[in-house]
Amino acid sequence: MNPQEIKPTVKTFILNEYLPGEDPAAFTDTTPLMTTGILDSIAVLKVVTFLENQFGITIEPHEAVVENLNTLSDIERFVMSKKA
Amino acid sequence: MLTKTLTSEPVGEIKAVVVEPSVARCTPRSRFAALATFLAIVAQFGLIVMVVGYWQLESLPLARLMALAFAGFVIHHLLPVRFRLPFFAMLSLVAVITGVGHFGPNIWRSWLIGKMTTTGFLYHLLPGSTLIGIGLGLIGLCHLPIRFAARVGLVAVAGAGLAFLRGHSQWFPDVSEMWVILGSMFMFRLMIYLYDLKHRTAPFSLAHAVSYFFLLPNVCFPLFPVVDYKTFCSTYYNEDWPPIYQTGLKWIFRGVIQLLLYRIIYQFAPLDVYKLTSALDVAGCMLGMYLLYLRISGTFHLIVGLLHMFGFNLPETHHLYLLASSFTDFWRRINIYWKDFVMKLFFYPMHFKLRRMGTVWALSLATLGTFLATWLLHSWQWFWIRGMPLFNWKDFSFWMILAVLVLVTAIYETTRVRKRTLTPSRVTLRQRLILGLQAAGVFSLMCILWAYWSCQSWAEFETLIDAASRPTFREMMIVLGTLLLVCVCAMLWGRSSRETSEGRSTPATRAPFHFWPSAATVAIGALCLLILPSIATRVIPRLKPVIARLHGDTLNARDMAQQRRGYYEELDVGGMDNWQWHNAEEPEGWSRGKKAFYRERSDFLLKDLAPSMSTVLGGTPCTSNSLGLRDREYQRAKPAKTYRIVLLGASNDMGTGVKDDQTYENLVEDRLNARVPDARYSRYEILNLSVAADTILQRVLRLEEEGFGFQPDAAILSVTAVDEQVMASHIRKALIQGVEPPPGYREVVESVVHRARVNGKMPAVMIDRRLQPYFTELCKWSFQRFAQECTQRGVRPLVIYRPMPADFSGMESAARRQIIGLARNAGLEVLDLSPAFDSVADRSSLMLAKWDDHTTALGHRLLADMLYEGVVPLLFASQSTQQVSHLEKP
Repeated sequence: MNPQEIKPTVKTFILNEYLPGEDPAAFTDTTPLMTTGILDSIAVLKVVTFLENQFGITIEPHEAVVENLNTLSDIERFVMSKKA
Repeated sequence: MLTKTLTSEPVGEIKAVVVEPSVARCTPRSRFAALATFLAIVAQFGLIVMVVGYWQLESLPLARLMALAFAGFVIHHLLPVRFRLPFFAMLSLVAVITGVGHFGPNIWRSWLIGKMTTTGFLYHLLPGSTLIGIGLGLIGLCHLPIRFAARVGLVAVAGAGLAFLRGHSQWFPDVSEMWVILGSMFMFRLMIYLYDLKHRTAPFSLAHAVSYFFLLPNVCFPLFPVVDYKTFCSTYYNEDWPPIYQTGLKWIFRGVIQLLLYRIIYQFAPLDVYKLTSALDVAGCMLGMYLLYLRISGTFHLIVGLLHMFGFNLPETHHLYLLASSFTDFWRRINIYWKDFVMKLFFYPMHFKLRRMGTVWALSLATLGTFLATWLLHSWQWFWIRGMPLFNWKDFSFWMILAVLVLVTAIYETTRVRKRTLTPSRVTLRQRLILGLQAAGVFSLMCILWAYWSCQSWAEFETLIDAASRPTFREMMIVLGTLLLVCVCAMLWGRSSRETSEGRSTPATRAPFHFWPSAATVAIGALCLLILPSIATRVIPRLKPVIARLHGDTLNARDMAQQRRGYYEELDVGGMDNWQWHNAEEPEGWSRGKKAFYRERSDFLLKDLAPSMSTVLGGTPCTSNSLGLRDREYQRAKPAKTYRIVLLGASNDMGTGVKDDQTYENLVEDRLNARVPDARYSRYEILNLSVAADTILQRVLRLEEEGFGFQPDAAILSVTAVDEQVMASHIRKALIQGVEPPPGYREVVESVVHRARVNGKMPAVMIDRRLQPYFTELCKWSFQRFAQECTQRGVRPLVIYRPMPADFSGMESAARRQIIGLARNAGLEVLDLSPAFDSVADRSSLMLAKWDDHTTALGHRLLADMLYEGVVPLLFASQSTQQVSHLEKP
């Protein structure tokens, strides 16, 4: 997968799953997800499964943390580092 | 450079990012503003230290720790940033040494003026130094240059060894005080530390490790929030200092308020299941039991607030948990650090392993596994605090019920996606109402579940429910009104802006910070806590005893009664509830003679004393004579020219905890024989027929069955304010053992048993509660019987009211009036000895020990003085006057 596609793919997934009806333009690369409660602990697990299936990576339990999954930019950086 | 690697392992790019103080880059005006801010913080901190000391919150060591933290805070702040963490580590070690060794100013003073030898002085360093040595050893094991799995194995072996020694702490009495704190510091934090060390998610250095494990406030709090190592490191001065310090002060103040609220609830809520008489009492009891948790949330706020004062910008530990709107919400808001800990170490690893099974299965198994781990770790924690594990059905079932409730809600949330928004949206009244109703529902269910957990046994919980049967309309309205209040509070404040605690401390997720309003609130609040009590007691003098009860760490009515009942039932005090771990326990051997000293009987008296027995009761030698009395030797037949009195009482009259010649009746006897108040008698004898735990009914029966056999001239029936409380135990035991009351007693006892609807197959606590309304009737009947039997035999009956050593529950005055009134109504003469203790400023000094409320030798002497002065004019009125005039002649 093209690295440029990571953010749009994840964004679409989160919008469909957790933010139906929300304005996509308001969901920026720096919108906090975990620290604002958009993704709670259970939602994070779904996102992790999605990232693993979508990008063919394996995520460890200690990696499902706010530093890696709080914003779209964090997620992109994390996925890229896993694929590297 | 703040971080310095402790091992040769690469740390990677992980370093603590410290925000440099803004003062350095500021203008003189800004420097002045910063100085004013700092002084405001110092002033607030100083006030809070005074509040903690004034209210004697938690313990004396906490007041000392607060003073140390205050001084340390000022120095810490003025130090260059690079020295702050090592300074905090050193300060924490000093706190351990002084705190664990009870190293107060008196010890310093005694050593400096030569009252204490240097060896004695150094002896006080031993427990703290041992703890530090063991702790550093454990940290060292984590960093050994061997495979990680081997290190974990070594730490586990060391932990098992230490746990073994904890279980046998009596082997090392000199350091026995350090085990609880050692456990509190390492039992969970080692797990997190190893986890983060394995994944290298944080910087590691000696200063970090020492600061993390020996956290400054830990020495005063065996129950300590499970601070996450990664969060501990990553939040260290992660923003400018004023908001960090001010948030800390705000949380310390919140903790102080919660600890005071806890005291109010602990002292005044109807927590004694035995005394519940209505559905409203039951609701109050359940609510009170739930709110006792304020002690934990209060101490956690105080602890984390203190850590803020040293730059650790940690997230909050509890977030409006009473207003949780679902069980998952409750789990996320109560003890957030614990939730994060088990999520990190148990839930996520289990879920990741199980996720191939599908979301619901993985979620279910991981949740159940996490709660199982919580139960086991709770027991592990209990073991380090009490020295024995807590494995019982009640604890297990509580955690499993909570697990199922959380799981059901979690599955519901997984399958039905809740509404999330990118921007704060307007919440409609309907949404708020639903939230409020949900919160009221969760609140009421948690009250019930918490009561179940807090009750000593299933039978006690059953009794609690039994007491709630047939509520009146008014009671139901009051309960509904309380739930309505919860609903309204949840509608106003229950909506959490975030659903998780992760990243709570980041400035981006917090509301804008306003320093001065917050500082003013804390300062004014602290001043109020210092000044208002004095004003209130002057304006309303009736408040004085209420305020006095809120000062200090005294037991409430329930725990005093429980200790008394425990004594009466010969139960182990160790069975006290989960929050009573802090109360002093009876030392080994304190009452070792109980089993040998008392004999079971098959009749309605149920027990008596073994004759010619020498043993230890209340930590003091105690003997019985050949007649089976706790007294000197007497002949069964009354000798000529002897005035004989029989005394009927319970353990205090028997003299538990004082030597044979120190009991008040022996002191009075000695004085009578020395002064000879009546010339007709050359000898005076007081035969002590008191038996521990005898109720008034048993005392009167004992007089009839044994006392009259000694041909007494007078019979003294000793009564106290707590006699009504223990009345039930006698009838209940007789019911359970199937013992019939003797003729004369049968009618009244059977009538009470019938009307109270009790039988021997019921749980003991339920029998006691149902019998409670009949205690007055039984007391009244006993007094009448006493008067009647004595009169028939020509024996002079006399009732003495014996005061309790301490009146913590403040109920003595009313109970004294009640029982004296009953005796007088039966036509009996009553000698009220309650002024005997008036000369003692601190009544608790008349108690044998914190775990034993029997009267000390001083108390017996005071009682003897009063009894002698009162009994002589009553029994020997004309003769004593003659005697006094005779003695006065030259």
